Amino acid sequence: MTKSYYEFFCPVKIVAGNAALEHIPHELRTLAAARPMIITDKGVRGAGLIDHVLGAFAESGMDVVEIYDDVPPDSSTTVVTQIAKLYRDSGCDSIIAVGGGSVIDTSKGVNILVSEDGEDLTAFSGVGVLTKPLKPFFVVPTTAGTGSEVTLVAVIADPEKGVKLPFTSYFLLPNAAVLDPRMTLTLPAHITAMTAMDAMTHAVEAFTGMGKNPISDAYAVSAIKKISENLMQVLNTPDDADARLELAQASTMAGIAFSNSMVGLVHSLGHSLGALCHLPHGLCMNLFLPYVLEYNLAERGDVIGELLLPLAGAEVYARTPAADRGRAAINTLREIRDELYRRCKLPRSLSETGKVSRDQIQKLAEMALDDGSIIFNPVEVDLDDAISVLEKAW
Amino acid sequence: MKQLLQLKLGDLNLGSLNTAPLKRPYVALMMDVIGRGLEASSQVDANIKREVQKLPDGFMFDMRALPSGPCFVMEKNADGNLSYIGSEAPRKPDVSLKFKHLNHAFLVLSFQEGTARAFANDRILVDGEIAHAMKLVRCLNRMESLILPKFVAVRALKRYPQLSLKQKLAGGGKIYSRLAKNLVWG
Ligand SMILES: [Fe+2]
Repeated sequence: MTKSYYEFFCPVKIVAGNAALEHIPHELRTLAAARPMIITDKGVRGAGLIDHVLGAFAESGMDVVEIYDDVPPDSSTTVVTQIAKLYRDSGCDSIIAVGGGSVIDTSKGVNILVSEDGEDLTAFSGVGVLTKPLKPFFVVPTTAGTGSEVTLVAVIADPEKGVKLPFTSYFLLPNAAVLDPRMTLTLPAHITAMTAMDAMTHAVEAFTGMGKNPISDAYAVSAIKKISENLMQVLNTPDDADARLELAQASTMAGIAFSNSMVGLVHSLGHSLGALCHLPHGLCMNLFLPYVLEYNLAERGDVIGELLLPLAGAEVYARTPAADRGRAAINTLREIRDELYRRCKLPRSLSETGKVSRDQIQKLAEMALDDGSIIFNPVEVDLDDAISVLEKAW
Repeated sequence: MKQLLQLKLGDLNLGSLNTAPLKRPYVALMMDVIGRGLEASSQVDANIKREVQKLPDGFMFDMRALPSGPCFVMEKNADGNLSYIGSEAPRKPDVSLKFKHLNHAFLVLSFQEGTARAFANDRILVDGEIAHAMKLVRCLNRMESLILPKFVAVRALKRYPQLSLKQKLAGGGKIYSRLAKNLVWG
């Protein structure tokens, strides 16, 4: 394929492993920052995770100047404006986001306002509106899933207009993502499972989609291998710091893969289901993943088949005939889902969620067609196709 | 016809990608054709009508090659169809599909690179609401499937729709005759 073309970009420094948090003061100093603000939510604070971060500043000659710990699960421009005011009033010069997707997106919004000296976040919505680097910004993920620490987008709701504002800019990427095993150690089993399956989906869709490229592929395959090898281990032994770190790294690697190669129909359907029936994103990913792969299998079987190696290991891969590997890869994912259902009741079908009614399928399909990620699905999807996948997922 | 078309595309691709002098006029011509084709097909094709129906009234979009064109602009009119405005937008369009370079527009408009492939290859920037842009992409794909010869359309589309020859001739024919009428009546 001499006509192929791709772009790959990830300027985020990865600071990962044992005592990673203690590197934050030094990293701030190299960016000429000394007065950081922590942005987090009540759950993270309540779990005592902020103490680890504050502990890392002891003996560092630097203090955390301000902590905002009330980011809601669905953040809004109102919250962002409020935090930006606090940042300015306290004379902060940098941001440390400690949390999951909502905290990270909120922090990206705050960074826009405080760096551009703006009051109205809506003015910065869209693609390429930002034109210069923002304040030093670090992300400490406390879930291993979204990959938001390495993506250049943020979605923040505008409650007045009732719309979700997208922000896209290279300048939204943090300066560093800090992966410390302490930060995911206490994550409950069902959230660990959901977020890991979100990361799994990022990697699988990046690898099998239209935007696939050799560099993203390398990240995606490694991420899938780490998740397959460590998810059950973490559920069996929640305080296994090494396995936790493996999941955290896998999540970041999958984030790097999909922010360059994009995602596909699993996300189109999942975004619709999440919005219409208020189900968590990772749950939706886990639910749709095998049905979409089955939909893509006829045209994309060879590529899906390559995933059998990171999913099931060398022995299974070697003894499975090439023509059967795509199907076998999907079956391996189904086995993982069955196990997650057994352990934490993570639904495998729309009916198992207990929150979807059958007459919502038409609406879900229509919404999925208008989702941007559908264009990157390797196989064309029209309304009838989307409905048929949803019926199979019933 | 087949050889002729391939020969022409081949000529345009000879030598350096950047120096073919015919690319700018070709892209401008094709944008004009697509603009008029969308206008005509939004009046006759049920699939495209259905998509346009879901766009807000007065919705305006353009497709352009950065940095300075060519460009075509469309608007949803009071009848609920798409009107071809021309190559100049009277206001900032609600959705703008921007090719990063004239050559990327050329690849897509000479049907060597499909729309979805162009998105996946980072050739196109979308300015505006993605949900609307997705409807436009479906309209473009549908129109291509109807008016292009199958051997060209199969390269540009992820999937060539199941169109019977009759549907294709009827759909394509209606678009062509509507196109002719629109041209005559202005
Ligand atoms: Fe996701």
